[in-house]
This record gives sequence, structure tokens and C-alpha cells, in this order.
Amino acid sequence: MEQTTIRFTLNDRPITHAAMPYRTLLEVLRDDLGLTGSKEGCGTGDCGACTLLLDGKPVTSCLVLAAEADGRKVTTVEGLAKDGKLTPVQVAFIRYGGLQCGICTSGFIVAAHALLESNKTPSEADVRAAIGGNLCRCTGYDKIVRAILAAAYDEGELVDESASMPVMEKPLFTEGPM
Amino acid sequence: MTAELTIVGKPMPRVDARDKVTGKAVFGVDVQLPGMLAMKVLGSAYAHAEIVSIDTSRARKLPGVVAVITGDDLPHNVELNFGSRGHSFLAKHKAFFYGQPVAAVAAVDIHTAEEALKYIDVKYRPLPILLDPLEAMKPDAPLIQHMGEGASEMSMHNADVAEDDEDHTEELDKEDIGDSDIREAAELASEAQAEAAPRNVASHIVFKQGDVAKGFAESDVVIENTYRLAQVHQGYLELQNATANWDAVNQQLTLWVSTQAQFYERQHAAEVLGLPIHKVKVITPEVGGGFGAKFGLVAPLVGLMSMKAGRPVQHIYTRHEELQASNPAPASVITIKTGCKKDGTLTAIEAKVVVDTGAYSGSPMSIICIMLAAPYKFPNIFIDGYEVLTNKQSVAAYRAPGGPNSSFAIEQQIDIMANEVGMSALEFRLLNGSEEGYTRPDGTPQPKIGLRAVLNALARHPIWKEPLGPNQGRGLAIGGWGGGRGPASAIVKLEGDGTFEVVVGTVDLTGTNTSFAQIAAEVLGLPISKIHVTRLDTETAPFGPAAGGSQVTYSMGVAVIEAAKDARSQVLKVAAKEFDTTEDDIVLDEVGLRSQSKPDKKLSWPQFQETTSGWTAKYAPVLGRGSVERRKGAPGYAACVADVEVDPLTGYVKILRVVAAQDVGKAINRMSVEGQLQGGTVQGIGLALWEEIMYGADGRVRNASLLDYRKATPRDLPLIDAVIVEQASDDGPFGAKIVGEPSIIPPAGALANAVAAATGKRIFELPLTAERIARAMGRVQEYDAMTTTAPTLTPDPSPIRGEGRGRNGRNGHGRTNGKVKTTNGRASRKATARKAR
Repeated sequence: MEQTTIRFTLNDRPITHAAMPYRTLLEVLRDDLGLTGSKEGCGTGDCGACTLLLDGKPVTSCLVLAAEADGRKVTTVEGLAKDGKLTPVQVAFIRYGGLQCGICTSGFIVAAHALLESNKTPSEADVRAAIGGNLCRCTGYDKIVRAILAAAYDEGELVDESASMPVMEKPLFTEGPM
Repeated sequence: MTAELTIVGKPMPRVDARDKVTGKAVFGVDVQLPGMLAMKVLGSAYAHAEIVSIDTSRARKLPGVVAVITGDDLPHNVELNFGSRGHSFLAKHKAFFYGQPVAAVAAVDIHTAEEALKYIDVKYRPLPILLDPLEAMKPDAPLIQHMGEGASEMSMHNADVAEDDEDHTEELDKEDIGDSDIREAAELASEAQAEAAPRNVASHIVFKQGDVAKGFAESDVVIENTYRLAQVHQGYLELQNATANWDAVNQQLTLWVSTQAQFYERQHAAEVLGLPIHKVKVITPEVGGGFGAKFGLVAPLVGLMSMKAGRPVQHIYTRHEELQASNPAPASVITIKTGCKKDGTLTAIEAKVVVDTGAYSGSPMSIICIMLAAPYKFPNIFIDGYEVLTNKQSVAAYRAPGGPNSSFAIEQQIDIMANEVGMSALEFRLLNGSEEGYTRPDGTPQPKIGLRAVLNALARHPIWKEPLGPNQGRGLAIGGWGGGRGPASAIVKLEGDGTFEVVVGTVDLTGTNTSFAQIAAEVLGLPISKIHVTRLDTETAPFGPAAGGSQVTYSMGVAVIEAAKDARSQVLKVAAKEFDTTEDDIVLDEVGLRSQSKPDKKLSWPQFQETTSGWTAKYAPVLGRGSVERRKGAPGYAACVADVEVDPLTGYVKILRVVAAQDVGKAINRMSVEGQLQGGTVQGIGLALWEEIMYGADGRVRNASLLDYRKATPRDLPLIDAVIVEQASDDGPFGAKIVGEPSIIPPAGALANAVAAATGKRIFELPLTAERIARAMGRVQEYDAMTTTAPTLTPDPSPIRGEGRGRNGRNGHGRTNGKVKTTNGRASRKATARKAR
């Protein structure tokens, strides 16, 4: 079997990449391109941790072959913040406690962005439907739903003021190439 | 410490939130090392079998395969205990559950490793399979016998010799039992008497207080029922994983593990791989949920593989493996009889508890027994607990391990009795709820608990005024949890720019690092922006306890207080000397330090730091140290009220409203405490309504995917109202108690009680599926014929036999032999046996 060449737009940048045709978009992004924000929680499209935007629409990238991205626009959680400034959705998740362990968070944030692109005034039910394919085991969804509603209705107040929010130092890895 | 709290108690965003909303945070599954191999495991094709031979030669020849290991590769210099799951990370001679690792492959990529599994030829000799713990206990049941278990060991499983006929009573380590050091609850392994000894019993325990026969004789109401809970998975979204790098030159193993307890992980890996502890280093990346399941399951096998392959190796479970062959929470069968007087006063509780531990011991059986009675003032108690082996993946902890099992049973009993005597659910619990000074079944006196405060807070909640329509019902349940309590140590040091760095070795699952930042800021008298919290690895961090038993903020919080006080006092001493003034004249703020009485005496933080760490520094560097002993117990009590609507045709349960209340002592961070209450409550709802690992007759899991193993989704739930009750503890940071676990306990009972209120039917088995409810309502006549689920447990062949069965009953005179089972490789506390007084 031979590698196939894929040309696509990844987080606003053009990219050309060769991968075996059986590999998923999630695998290529994580293992080859170093974008580990999208997570694999099940590999069968049930948990939503790998959600990213393909031409603006949320998809579970564990079920998308890398080759299917050819000629398309891929946006991952890493591509949402511009120039280091977080989006209102991201700020809302921080302020409203919409995350705990964080492993599902990328998928929820991407799904929330997709919702707010198409619906500026979602109801609680709209929010729950939009994230209906995402599983979280920590929060009970309460603060995630509140964060997304806040992002919709209090967008103006959710400005990224990074200096006022404590950021964890990250010397997690004391060896290895991290 | 200031009297008025300015930072502790406030809602505060997580210190790691920025990394997590941008996808930057590095979890175990994100670790990549140069030359790293991918590992796949070949699981046993039988739930119980002898492994006759394994031929790996064809797999080894596959291009890209670097190493293949089997039980023969287990370290030869180590005495492994094959009765312990923690030591049986690769099956040898026998496999005890479907999917148990029998071989593993490391290859250049995951696809090659997966392909190679097909070329491993294993010959099995199948053995009889036991899936139902009640069947497993029958006198003619086949035995689940681990390698190396001789006659003496088997006496624990299958005592057929009684050494004497005298009555004995068991004396437990009263201080410790039931205190939920998750894997350390002392379990009393008792030999049963000669006739009808139950087989496959890994451990047995009896709790007695007073005289239940007398208690029931004095009762006006006596209720007996049998409650069943399914095996459920902890459900963390980050799959179990570890990455290992063996350094053959220095004989040192470095492990990156998705673990709750890096120091335990190090000790366990060293023990089973035959390495000195200092030659194992565990680094914990961000952990994507653990809930009790991430204690030593994965690392040893990956470590062994790296030692064999000579390269870094990573192993990530699949979700299928998670549901088929990890370490979920136990199924149980609890037959319980309770009594009360006409005025509602409780008289007695008698129970037989059978916990299905799967293929290895390690279930929270004794905790289930204790927590059946602990929340209430039962004057007479007889609880007979059995931990039974079956051919399923063995179980481990899951958030308040066993708590939901106990609560589902006792909370329905309580509800039924309240109805019988015409009292409200709340009144009855306020009358009978345990409080300080009452004795738990294991003999431990209750410390100060907030059960009453929680019920009183809940009583004022507006939910009670919400009208209920047809097919709607409201249910209440409570639950309490002992929790862990240390010991812990931390360091607080001053950095060049005037920030203080808090260094800990605890894993942050629930936002504990944010709480530490708040605590340190409060103690130092500085804004939170001046605090950084860092978790280091086992080589560099001061010792921190496991992130289990809800103990991290409770115990480590005190170490952080001590370390911050120490740092502050060093700062003040230096400043007083430098400014030629007294320590209480010094003020610290964001910019630096100054003297109140001498306005010209001031230093910025960088200037100050120069005086303690600069090239010509006059003073010693500021290094605060906090090292604290185990705390006093500070159990957390929780309660839940749920309103449901049950579809009268289908039995579908719609959750209308949920209120979760818990006494947390002091909420250090209100936002994360609310998050804990909400998250735990929804996990409790999940196991109550949907979750169940279903086994086929061959021991294979029939719903090993997240499509079929049904977890709570965003669309199943309303918002969860969290009520925080604060009744300060004596020994926790700022009066905090344990927080994480209790909220998972009450929902199952609350929902069962709500369903009963809505339908008039009691459901005695979890999950409360639509089918079960519809069946109870008489809506599904052909349920048994239609069902495609695994066969349900057969009725208990030996139900409790009425009054008069005291300690001389069938199980009443077990002789303790002082032998204690190990739980997941760790020896539990010795239980002592002594004659009846």
C-alpha cells in the first residue's frame, strides 16, 4: 500500500502531507502534525472528544480518513484563538468552570463554536442538542451548558484578559522532548 | 492567616483552564518520545482457561515488530503474587477473565502491533466459567484458583475444614476499617465452618452490634428485600495509558502514567518489576479523569515491554478494552432486613452482602457493609459480607467505592419504612440520621458529621414546593463517605520575580492545584497572581498522597498552609532585619514589602529576592516547608432530591429536577466544589438509570462500546442545583472536609424512591431501565422472552432466615485466621482475631 498525498487547509494554513490511506484524520493530526488537542476517547464516534471543524461543520475526526480532508478546511481547537487571544467560548469555559479534567474540553469547545456560528440565540435545549454527541464524565454538563449560554448572550463581557487569569507553569516533563 | 478570608472561599477559575480550552494541556495520551513504539495486548479468548502454549514466532517475524512478550517474560527475580491483579499484569498458566492480557506486542506503529496479534498462536484448555457470584458460592461450584494458591490459601476461598466449633467474634482494627483509604480497608478473611461453606469467597467479614433478634422482636415494621447492582465502569474519557522508557545503562525506568497516585505507581512498578524504588521515576501528565480506576493497572506491563524492547513504549487502551478488561466497579447482591417502631425509631439491621469482585480480590466489600448502616442510628446490627470471585474483569475503586451499592439498598429500605409509619422521607431521616458519637458498624465512633445540617439545608430548598403532576414523583436519599486523610508534604519557594511557587506531588484531578493557589495566596497575604502551583514527578516532588479518597485538598491543603506560613515567616524575619523593625510592622503586597512605621523602608520583590538569592545575598533563600501527618477523619455527607416523570407506557424516566446538597466543611473554591457536586451527582444518575456492563454466557462483554454502554449525555439532564453546606472540620484547611466522592452516593436511592413515588412500584435492581420499570408496572408481559441482555442473577439461594438468626447462625461462627487478602497487590492492614468475650 502506498501513501497518499493530502492537501488541505489546517487552522488557516495550507498543508501538504503524505499518509497511509487507512489512517484517520485524528491520527494524522495527533501523531504526525503534533496537534494533540483533539483526543481519542472511543475511536467509534460516540464520545466527541475528537470533534473538529471540517469546512466549518463539526465532525468526529476518529471516523474521518485523513484522505477525506483533501481540498478542505480543517479547524482544530488549536486554531480557534487568534494571536493568543481566546474566543468568547474559551473564556466562558474558563470563567464558568466548564471544564474539569479537560480531556473532553476540546471537543465541547469546537462543538460550541459550530453552534454559535449558526445560532446566535440558542436555548438551553439548543445547546444540549449541539453538544449531544459529546461526553463529559466530570462536570455533569451543568457548567458547560451555562458557559455556552454565557458565550452566546454575554459575548461582549467575555474578553480574554489573560493577565488576570492565573496560568499554570508547565515544567511537567523533566526529561524527554516535551 | 487573616481572620477575614479574601481568596479562600471564592469561586476561582482553574489554574490549568487556559491550557485546557486551547488544547495545549499535555495528557498521558499525548506523550510522544523519540523512537517510541506502540504496544497492543492480546487478551485471553476465554473467560477461564489454562494456557497450554503460546507460540509467538510468527508474530516476531512480522516487519516492524520489535518485541513480543508473554507470561514467560515476567521477571524471574520477583516473587509475584498471582492472586493479586496488580501482580498478574500478564497471565501465566491460566487466564481468569475474557480479555486478560496473555501476550503483548511492541511495534513501530499501532497498526503493525495490532496486525501482529493475529500471528500469536495461543492454545487454551477451557475451564468452567463462573459469572454469577451466588452460583460461585454454591458448594458444588468449580473453583477459581490462582497460580500458587495452595491448600492453606484455598481455605480462604473454600474452607472445608473447621478447626474448632467454638464461637468466635472478630475484632477489627477499629481505627482504620472503613476509612476509605481505597485499597487499605482491612478485610477480615474468615474461615467458614465445615458444612455448606460458600466457595470462591475471597474475603468474608461480619459486623455485629447489639442483638438483632431482640431488635426485630421490638419492631412494629420489618422490611426485607434483595437489591442488585450491576458492574459499572468509571467512565473517564481519557483511556488508561502509560509510556515507559527503560534506560539499560543506568537500569532506570521512567514512566509517564495516567494515574491518580504517582508515588503508589512508582512503588508498585518497582515491586512487580524487581527494581529498587529509586530506579523508577513516575511522571504524571494531565490526567483525563480517574474516578478510582487509575491505580497501577497499566504501567507494569508497559515498563516490562520497554525493558524487553530496549526502546520507549506506549500503551493506550481501546474503549473496548476499557469495558472488557480494565477494573470497573463491582456488581453486588444485598439482602437486607430492617426494622423500626411505630414512632419511626430504627431497631435493627441485618444484611447479607455479596460483592462480585471478578477474577481477583480488591472490591470495597467491607466498606459496602459498613456504609449500609453507618448513616443511621441502628442499635442492633448484623452484617455478613462476602467478596466472591467470578470470571470477569476484577474490580477496583469508583468514586466512593461501594457507596452507591449501600445507598441504593438502605435508602429504599428507609423510604419504605417511613411510608409504613406515615412519616415524610425527610422527617424519618432527621429522626434516625447518625451524628457525632454514634458507633458505626465497625465500632468506630462517628466524628463530627454534617448529615443533619445537610438535611436541614435541603428542607429549606424550594424544590419541595414544586407541584408534581401525574406520573411524577419525588425521591430523597442520603449518603456519607469517610475519605482519606494524608499524610502530605509541600514546598513554597520564592522565585526571582516575587512569585511564590507551590510544589506538590499530588495529581490534580478536581482542581486541587487551584485550591492550593488560593490557600497559599491567603496565607501569604498576596494576590493569587503571585502564586504558581507546580506538580513535579516522584523524583523531585515532596511526597503527596494519592488523589483518591477525596483527600488531596483536605490533607495537602494543610501542608500548603504550613509551607506558606513557613515561607512567610522567613520573609518577615529577613525584612524585619533589613528594615530594622518588627515583623508585625511589615506589609506584603503585589509589588513588594514595606515597613508601616518607616515609609522609606521598602523593597520590591526582585530587590528582596536579591537579598536572599543574589550573588552577594545576606540572607538564606526563602524555602517554606510543610510536612503534615495524617489528618483526623472528616467524612462528607450528601443528600439528593430528584423529581422524575415516568412514562406510564414505556417506563422511560425523565429527570425533571435534581438538587444535590453536601457538607464540605469549607468550600475553598466554590466553583470547583459545585462542579464536584454536580459531576458526582450525574455519575450517580448514570449508574442509577443506564449504566451496566453486560456479560454473555461466555464471559464476553456484550456492550463494550460507548454506543452500547450508555453514559449520561447532555440531553438526558437538567441543570443540577448544588447546595453547599459548610460545617467546619477540626483538622482540614480552613475547616474544609473531603469533597469529591460523596455526591455520587445518593442519586441511585433518590431516583429509585422517586420512581416508586411516581409509579407505586419499587425497583430493586440497577440500572432502573425503562424495561424494568415497564415490567414492574405490568406493561411488558413477555419481557423475559424478549430480552437480549445477559441472564439476570438467580435469586439468592440462602436468603436471610427471619428472626433468631444471630451470631450462631450459619455464618455466625467463622473463625478468623488472621490472614488478610491483598488488594491489588498491596497488603491490607492486619486484622486480629480473638475469642468472644
